[in-house]
Amino acid sequence: MKIAVVPSAPALLPAYAGLTDPVADVRAAALEAIAWLDGPVQVLAADDLGRRVGEHLLGRAPVDDAADLLVVADGSARRGEKAPGHLDERATGFDAAIDAALRQGDPAALVRLDEALGAELLARGVPAFRALGAQVGDRPVRAQVDYADDPFGVQYWVVRWEC
Amino acid sequence: MTLKLGRQEFTDDATLMMAIVNRTPDSFYDKGATWAEAAAFDRVARVVEEGAEIVDIGGIKAGPGAEIDVEEEKRRVVSFVAQVRADFPALVISVDTWRSEVARAVCEVGADLINDAWGGVDPGLVDVAAEFGAAIVCTHTGGVQPRTRPHRMEYDDVTAAVLDAVTRYADRAVAAGVDRRSVVIDPAHDFGKNTFHSLELTRRLDELVATGWPVLVSLSNKDFVGEALDLPVGSRLTGTLAATALSALAGARIYRVHEVVETRQVVDMVNTIAGRRPPARAIRGLA
Repeated sequence: MKIAVVPSAPALLPAYAGLTDPVADVRAAALEAIAWLDGPVQVLAADDLGRRVGEHLLGRAPVDDAADLLVVADGSARRGEKAPGHLDERATGFDAAIDAALRQGDPAALVRLDEALGAELLARGVPAFRALGAQVGDRPVRAQVDYADDPFGVQYWVVRWEC
Repeated sequence: MTLKLGRQEFTDDATLMMAIVNRTPDSFYDKGATWAEAAAFDRVARVVEEGAEIVDIGGIKAGPGAEIDVEEEKRRVVSFVAQVRADFPALVISVDTWRSEVARAVCEVGADLINDAWGGVDPGLVDVAAEFGAAIVCTHTGGVQPRTRPHRMEYDDVTAAVLDAVTRYADRAVAAGVDRRSVVIDPAHDFGKNTFHSLELTRRLDELVATGWPVLVSLSNKDFVGEALDLPVGSRLTGTLAATALSALAGARIYRVHEVVETRQVVDMVNTIAGRRPPARAIRGLA
C-alpha cells in the first residue's frame, strides 16, 4: 500500500485563496506526493476540515475501502510566540516524536501518541496519525519525507510511506 | 466587457490608475511642478514605478487662464508623448485635450486614449479616435465651453442629465467607428457642476456603472471635496480618498489621480471588502 501524509491547513482550500499563496511550497510537495498515489485513495483525517482539505488536494472522490491512504494531519500549532496557539515548550518534543516515527516508518510509535497532550498542543492531526499507525500495523515501511517545516508556527509534514 | 485602451487590453475586473501629468505652468494642484520637461519625465517614471497603468498628459489647465492655441498645446504635449511612448512601450498614454487637431498629432506619435474633459465640444474628436484605434473618455459638462467655471448651473436631475449626455456621446463615438471596448464614460465632477451636483453624482455613481460603459472618475483634490470639508488644495487627500472609496464600491474602473499609491490601496481595499478581489495573501487563522 501507498500512503501520503499532508497537512490540514485551511489555507490550502480554494475558499481562502489570496492573490499569492502563502503555502505554495507545502502545497506543491503535497500535490506531488498525492500524484504518486496512483489508484483509488481513502482519506484519513481527524475532522471535517482535514477531510475537506484532503478531498480538495486529491482532486477526485475518495474511496472508503481503498488500499492507498491520504492522511491529512499536522503537528502542534503552539511552536512559537507567533504561533496560532502561542508557545508551549512541550510542542517541540511532541512533534519530534511524530517526526521520528514518520521518518523511520514506525507505525507503533504513532499509535502510542498521547491524544490528550496533542489536543492541549493544538495538534489536530494526532487521531489521524494514530489511525494511520493502526492501519499499517506491523508491516515494514519504506519512508520518504518530502517536507517538514513550521512556517507559521504549525508543524507540517509531507511524507510518503510504502508498505 | 474587455477594456481596450489603444495597445493594451484589460479584463473586466481590472481597476486602473490614471496618473495626472501636467505639461502646464499653472494647473491648480501642482502649480507648474512638472512644467519643465525633465520634471514631467520624472513624474512619469515615478507613477509607473508606483503602479499606474495610465498617464494622462495635459497641456492646458482646466480653469480659465492665458489663451493656449493649438500650436502651443501641441508644443507642450506632442514631443513629450513621443518620448514617453519610446521609453514606456507598455504604458497607456492618455492625452487630456478637447481639440481634434491635438488629438490627431498625439495619436500619430503613439497616444492610446483621448481624455476629452469638455464633453465633446469638438465633434471631430471621435473621428480621430476611430481613425487611430484610440480609446475615448466621454464626459458631461452641461454644455459649458472649455476652460469656464460653472456659474449658476442647475439641473432637474443632475444624474439623469449626466447619464443622457455621456451615453449619447458614447453612442456617437461607436457610430463614428470607435471600438465599443474603447469607450469610457466620466461624469466629470466639478465640470459644469456645483458641489451639490458632484456630491450627488458620487452618491449615485452606481447608476453610471449600470449603463455597462466602464466608468472613469476624476475626483482628485477637486473643489467639491474642498467645499465639503472646507479645506484648501493641498489638504484634500483624505476627502478625495473617501469619495474614491464610494466610487470603488459603486464599481468605477479608472481613477484619474494625483496620488497613485494611496488611491490604489483604497480601491484595492474596497474591492477586496466587496468580494471582487481576493486578499493579497491570507494566513491569519488559516495556518
